[in-house]
Amino acid sequence: MAQPSFGIRTYVLTYLALLTLLLATVLIGFVDLGWGSMFLAVAIATMKAALVAAFFMHALVERKLVWVVIAGALVWFLILVTLTLGDYITRGWLPFPGK
Amino acid sequence: MSEGAILKEPWRDLARQREGATFGIWIFLASELLFFGSLLLLYTVYRVENPQAFAAAAARETDIFYGTVNTAVLLTSSLTMALAIHAAAANRTLRSYYLLLLTAVIGVAFIAIKFTEYYQHYEMHKVPGIRFESTSPQAGAMQLFYIFYFIMTGLHAIHMSIGIVLVVLFAFRTAVGQFNQEYHTPLEALGLYWHFVDIVWIYLFAIFYISGLHK
Repeated sequence: MAQPSFGIRTYVLTYLALLTLLLATVLIGFVDLGWGSMFLAVAIATMKAALVAAFFMHALVERKLVWVVIAGALVWFLILVTLTLGDYITRGWLPFPGK
Repeated sequence: MSEGAILKEPWRDLARQREGATFGIWIFLASELLFFGSLLLLYTVYRVENPQAFAAAAARETDIFYGTVNTAVLLTSSLTMALAIHAAAANRTLRSYYLLLLTAVIGVAFIAIKFTEYYQHYEMHKVPGIRFESTSPQAGAMQLFYIFYFIMTGLHAIHMSIGIVLVVLFAFRTAVGQFNQEYHTPLEALGLYWHFVDIVWIYLFAIFYISGLHK
């Protein structure tokens, strides 16, 4: 039965990459980059999440159907984020009388 | 076990049964993404509205040491889980059994560290609604931060606890020979769940511990 899988070496390398990113995010966290700090922290978290999904969860070698599920989940989530933040972040940009 | 005993309706063969099972788990994880994702979004909105208070609370008061150690602990448990499934697929039942037990032990360690931290928050009067004191003029917004913190890490801890119970259960199923090279689909499904819970923590770590660290 063909199952998507990797070798032990790949799992260990993934793990080491994750620990390296963990160290990197903590070290970068001590530097003040303003709003960039939050952005970088989430960006590195996304890199770690992608590594876990691609290798530990075998998403990289899964069939197309699973990719559709992942893409669907992400697209719906991005719609949620974009429309909500599009409202909240832009509040107060335009001067309305009485506000 | 023979194929007949483990092949369920309505699947024609084990390969299809496996595809159905993992597909179902992925759908479930997609709904979990929106569940935790909407909380993350809500947190972001409140953080945008109270940047100083959230940064101050996130920065000084969550302990980066506990957070970092716990992240490393959880990543290690993901590795042992992946190796356990790999061992089951290679018919190395005993190794798979030990690796599953190790995964559960590491999971318990994570919960233990998390609750040590909760206890410290309690000692430091940082639990809104139960024990919260602050002289800061932004105490209200800081309580908001802690509400998000406790709800999100708490939900994550509940997910972890369910995972640990399942891992122990599946370790025993492995020990009595229910899983082998041909059939270990339940282990794969459990692995997907476990890794997903790991991913959730990676984000919680980023928003509660890392951002604001420099302040």
